[in-house]
Amino acid sequence: MTSLRLRKTLAAAGISLAALFAGHGFAAAQEAVFVIATNEVGAPTYNPIKANNLNIGTTLIFDRLVSQDADLSFHPWLAESWEEAPDGMSWVFHLKKGVKFHNGEPFNAETIAKWLELFKASENAYMTEAIAKVEVVDEHTVKFVMSRPEPNLLYNFSSSYLSVVEPKSYQALGDNYGVTEVYGTGPFKMESFTVGQETVLVRNEDYAWASPLAKNRGPAKIAKLTLREIAEDSTAFLELKSGGVDLLLGVPTDFLGQVKAETNLEVLTLPGQDVAYMPINVTKEPFTDIKVREAAAKAINQKEILESVYGGVGEVANTFLISALPESKVDPKYQISYDPERSKALLDEAGWKVGADGVREKDGKPLKVSLWTQSDSSFRRLTEVVQAELKAVGIDSEITTFDSSAIRDQYKSGNQQLAVRSYNWDNADIIDWFFGGDRLGYPNVSMFNDPKAEELRKVAMTGSKNMAERVKNFTAYHEYVLSQFPMAPIYQPVTSIAYNKDRLVLPAEIHSPSVGATVIMDMEVKE
Amino acid sequence: MLAYAIRRILMLVPVFLAVSVVIFLILHFIPGDPIDNLLKVGAPPEQRAEMMARYGLDRPLPVQYAIWLGKLLTGDLGTAIVARRPVADLIGQALPHSLLLGGLALAFSTVVGVTLGVVAALNKDRFLDRAIMGGVLFGSTLPSFWLGLLLILVFAVGLGWFPVSGARTWSSLVLPVLTIGLGGTALVARITRVSMVDIAAKDFVLLLHAKGLSPMRIQIRHVLRHALIPVVTILALRIGWILGGAVTVEVVFARPGLGTLLIKALSQHDYPVVQASLLMLAMAVMLGTLLGDLLQAAMDPRVRGALS
Repeated sequence: MTSLRLRKTLAAAGISLAALFAGHGFAAAQEAVFVIATNEVGAPTYNPIKANNLNIGTTLIFDRLVSQDADLSFHPWLAESWEEAPDGMSWVFHLKKGVKFHNGEPFNAETIAKWLELFKASENAYMTEAIAKVEVVDEHTVKFVMSRPEPNLLYNFSSSYLSVVEPKSYQALGDNYGVTEVYGTGPFKMESFTVGQETVLVRNEDYAWASPLAKNRGPAKIAKLTLREIAEDSTAFLELKSGGVDLLLGVPTDFLGQVKAETNLEVLTLPGQDVAYMPINVTKEPFTDIKVREAAAKAINQKEILESVYGGVGEVANTFLISALPESKVDPKYQISYDPERSKALLDEAGWKVGADGVREKDGKPLKVSLWTQSDSSFRRLTEVVQAELKAVGIDSEITTFDSSAIRDQYKSGNQQLAVRSYNWDNADIIDWFFGGDRLGYPNVSMFNDPKAEELRKVAMTGSKNMAERVKNFTAYHEYVLSQFPMAPIYQPVTSIAYNKDRLVLPAEIHSPSVGATVIMDMEVKE
Repeated sequence: MLAYAIRRILMLVPVFLAVSVVIFLILHFIPGDPIDNLLKVGAPPEQRAEMMARYGLDRPLPVQYAIWLGKLLTGDLGTAIVARRPVADLIGQALPHSLLLGGLALAFSTVVGVTLGVVAALNKDRFLDRAIMGGVLFGSTLPSFWLGLLLILVFAVGLGWFPVSGARTWSSLVLPVLTIGLGGTALVARITRVSMVDIAAKDFVLLLHAKGLSPMRIQIRHVLRHALIPVVTILALRIGWILGGAVTVEVVFARPGLGTLLIKALSQHDYPVVQASLLMLAMAVMLGTLLGDLLQAAMDPRVRGALS
């Protein structure tokens, strides 16, 4: 090799090496990188029919029939309007015209019939089981004949598991649907997906059917969106700080202070869908006595916890449901709030008298109970405060922590007395999930199995003809459960989104319960 | 020598079986199961039992083990329960990333470790020796998780030289390689130094000096060559360690690889994935040990002689 050729080769190698090294952090116009929330990391597929965990990308690849505003009210999307029969036994949906899937297939009433058929053999069959038959009325009108009234239908149609998939490719691709290829009608198409790493989405240029909750009526403003999966919170924060990514969906409370200290970063706060609570096992002494349960529940100082543990960010919880839900508006007498005097009086009544060291006793036995939680630091911190508050009324609790992946199995033993945990859900049917008598241990950590509750539960779950009735029935079920003190509500966190304000412009008003398609449609990259 | 190699390879079979039993049992004795991760709010109570049956998790453990082992021996790693795809695909995607990272980290710790070891040995008991050995000892005691974040803070956030995380560019390899490599450097440097000091005191070295060879030539051509035998053995042993040691580092740097795969699968109790990944790591350690022994036998005539 002559020295000239050698030099040329070296120069070429140098340039390509330099290109490789420079490839990071210099996104072109309208390209953005988001980090998905840690609880969505590792979601294995974009197949809404078979999945048990979907990440935010699902809301961008697919559309749904119904959209939901921040106040949880329902609005059109792929369905322009709908009518419900007075007896709740049928629904007619009028579909938007001119909608097509990423692979060119048209979206129409036939699509709906084939799509819902796909649920039948899947693990998610229960989500559509109330629909007995789908009738195609005309090209853009579809009628659902119900096996029973299901006022929750609109909620189901707004859920990401009922994202409308393209039935032909779904059947052709089999298990690869949602992994190697995926076709929806959404504002973004999937370009590539590496599970646990990243998903690259590109704008659907034909998109003109966004939910009316979004301002933008045309295609999304962001042309290319990369969703990265970073399991370690510190790493995600440092990526945002260094400009490697533009937005974090879900910032742990621990990092909020650091995010706020950076001049180029901004925090967007959305109402959360979590409730932290203390289940009380109604089958374990001394909590078989409702007075002791009420005493323990009313020993929890929600306001103090909000201030001291969460720095005032979020809301106190006085019922089992997030406050955005109408079913959380119970008669104030059923709300569970801090009342140490009542707590102490109840314990006295129940025969638990204050002993020498401040711990109550009955028949020579101290009021000593176990308090379980998971080992994550945020839970430990909260549980220590709960422990101190129980101590203040004379209940001595001993904290035991379990790994978050193992604690469910521990609950199944039924040996817990008190626990501190949280859930994330935005529908009143969560009461059925956590207090249903056929799910004792886990999810029913309280081991609550009460005949009257079961009656009210049945009416609430399947006996309502319309939404107003469902709200009434669930409120009644909720009130009864609260009156039995199988748990103490503690805290409702907010969802915090952090973003780089030098890079992104977010819509002034957020018309969505969480950051998804509606919000991202109106986002823009600063140029 | 050949007979020795064959005997050693055959000995791996019972070890492999024992390891597979231990992995299988430990995993199934951890409280929890993958089905909890598959049930969504609202799933009817009977669905749990249906799914346990579908994935064969309702059978007795020995039966489950036998089925798994049987498939394993035909090269079938099974299908992930939570991740819902062939385990072979998941590992196939992850392994090249781990091998690249581990390989580079091993190369780094070898080059830097041997160099530092030689420099320290040549300056035995002088300031430079103490500084180097103290420095590498300090470096090796830093937890890799913390060291990784520290390197990100300084070189990615502070100086902006490298990306914070990910695996999109070659430059993203630098910090994770340093994180893993620095930990291994101490051991290599120490062994090189001790071994060189030891060899330098041997009679044959004295003879070389007497023959009038230059000290530098003696150290590099003769002493180092002998001193490297234990170093090579240690390096082979570290092949498995490097793959396992990358587990936390991969998570900190959000890199794809066996570590990221293993941690996620472990938290979801995705048995087939955890079993296959752990077995992979155990195999790497076993093969590394074998390689170390064989290399030592090949290089050292005394070991070779003792065997035949």
